Amino acid sequence: MTAVGAAAPRTAPGGRALLGLSGLAGLLVLVELLPRTGIVSDSYLPPTSRILAALADEAATGAFWVAVGDTLTAWAIGLAIAVVAGVGAGVLIGAVPVLRAVTASTVEFLRPIPSVALIPLAVLLYGSDLGSTLLLVVYAAFWQVLVQVLYGVADVDPVADETARSFRFGPWARIRYVLWPTALPYVFTGVRLAASVALVLAVTAELVIGAPGLGAVIAVAQTSNAITTMYALIVVTGLLGVAINLAARYAERHFLAWHQSVRGEAPS
Amino acid sequence: MRRFITGMTVLALVAAGAGCGSSGDSGGGTTDGGVAKVKVGIIPIVDVAPIYLGQKQGFFANRKIDLTMESGQGGAAIVPGVVSGQFQFGFSNITSLLIAQTKNVPVKVVTNGVASTGTAGKDFGGVTVRKDSPITEPADLAGKKIAVNTLKNIGDTTVRESVRKAGGDPSGITFVEMPFANMPAAVENGQVDAAWVVEPSLSAVTAAGGRVVAWNYVDAAPDLTVAAYFASSKLIADDPDLVKRFTEAMNESLAYADAHPDEVREILGSYTKIDPKVREALTLPKWPTEINKPSVETLSKLGAQDGIFGSATPDLAKILP
Repeated sequence: MTAVGAAAPRTAPGGRALLGLSGLAGLLVLVELLPRTGIVSDSYLPPTSRILAALADEAATGAFWVAVGDTLTAWAIGLAIAVVAGVGAGVLIGAVPVLRAVTASTVEFLRPIPSVALIPLAVLLYGSDLGSTLLLVVYAAFWQVLVQVLYGVADVDPVADETARSFRFGPWARIRYVLWPTALPYVFTGVRLAASVALVLAVTAELVIGAPGLGAVIAVAQTSNAITTMYALIVVTGLLGVAINLAARYAERHFLAWHQSVRGEAPS
Repeated sequence: MRRFITGMTVLALVAAGAGCGSSGDSGGGTTDGGVAKVKVGIIPIVDVAPIYLGQKQGFFANRKIDLTMESGQGGAAIVPGVVSGQFQFGFSNITSLLIAQTKNVPVKVVTNGVASTGTAGKDFGGVTVRKDSPITEPADLAGKKIAVNTLKNIGDTTVRESVRKAGGDPSGITFVEMPFANMPAAVENGQVDAAWVVEPSLSAVTAAGGRVVAWNYVDAAPDLTVAAYFASSKLIADDPDLVKRFTEAMNESLAYADAHPDEVREILGSYTKIDPKVREALTLPKWPTEINKPSVETLSKLGAQDGIFGSATPDLAKILP
């Protein structure tokens, strides 16, 4: 079980947030100083202050929020499909040993294929619409969930499983009361990984294919030589990433509050 | 169990196929009032200003066309998008269309897209160098490293022609591929000796003190036709009326844009993020309604000379209207 985020020694939550913020502040100062001191030309890396000003300009336009909405919609739909499909397929494959044996090499073959390699296929099927983004997002996120669920299913305690069988638990009851509680922490790890990957792929798809969203706006800023705006939009994707990660961690803590990996060891 | 998997796979493929079919049909549909929904695959650059201007002026709505622009970086998605029916029309440079023709991709030009101004010193694209570069004329580019946005395309073939015409030997030039937007930095840092850039990156290079040493579009052919709007052969056969209406609206837009440069500079602000100051100053291309056929022949000849069509030769009668 320790594989799932072992109980690390905890610092006070406030202290950790403070450390994280100071790291971010350091980065902002660095980006402000590099162009100001002339180490990097400010035409190609504008200082933080100008990027933030451009961000404020963008945030004042409706088109910006539409783009953010498009990106988050693609992310959410893609992630939902990937999680449902990943958990469903994972439990099925994991619970039936023959299936696992049959699919193992196929999964290992398909999993490392980078989602972006599917761009021509996505464009052929869905043009530059939401469908293309979804195809890439689902493909990338699905494996993250599936593989974690497979590990989770493999982690079922044989004694617990045998016990359930002795008590004549049916297949459904065994999944519900033995397999699922064991796999759940793995599922959450998978979802958390998939959530980040899904955002990366959503923005990438928009950037390359031109499907509506933040990525497409970044592409327009690039072709327009609007460097400052481009960085401002990149900052937004970073902020979305942080927000998504925080939300995923919060959900994990909330729903797994009963689990050892979240509770931490009881002080002896 | 294997049968079960096969079944599931088939099911998934069918579902994907159905999804594809339905989204494919949704474009190009005609609504109750006889208004055709038309998607056009474009690149969000200066070249396509006329279509946005024409949309604003109602040239398309007048002809019962409800226009949507779909833009992708570098336009990689445009030709496949048009062939698969996701877009009814697309915008592409001539050399790419010639390459598509040699590969028997079923597309055909419907009208002109954008043309060079034909004037050295005042074109919308050129080969630029850093201000302290020893390169001063096209012949000096021989044996140098030059950035182009796409290899084996209109950039490298026309740049070679510039060098050739100036009496230099183009065979030793190394072309490297990078997006236009990265070129100003690459020129300034010396990662490349020169870069072929178009507006607005051209303005960025000259603003940083860079110089234009060759006007490759001007050198390649007089009043070179650079890009065109095209459709799939299927659409041209199935819906000639729509193609005719689009072509008329597009031609009206091209003529209007050519006659109203101030409105072009203004409309740029609606679909690009080009800085307003740059927008005021950049060099606009020409938007004639007629395709300059001799210049297309020249591009075809240059491409064949550089071997970008493989062993094939483009059949201009099949690609031009």
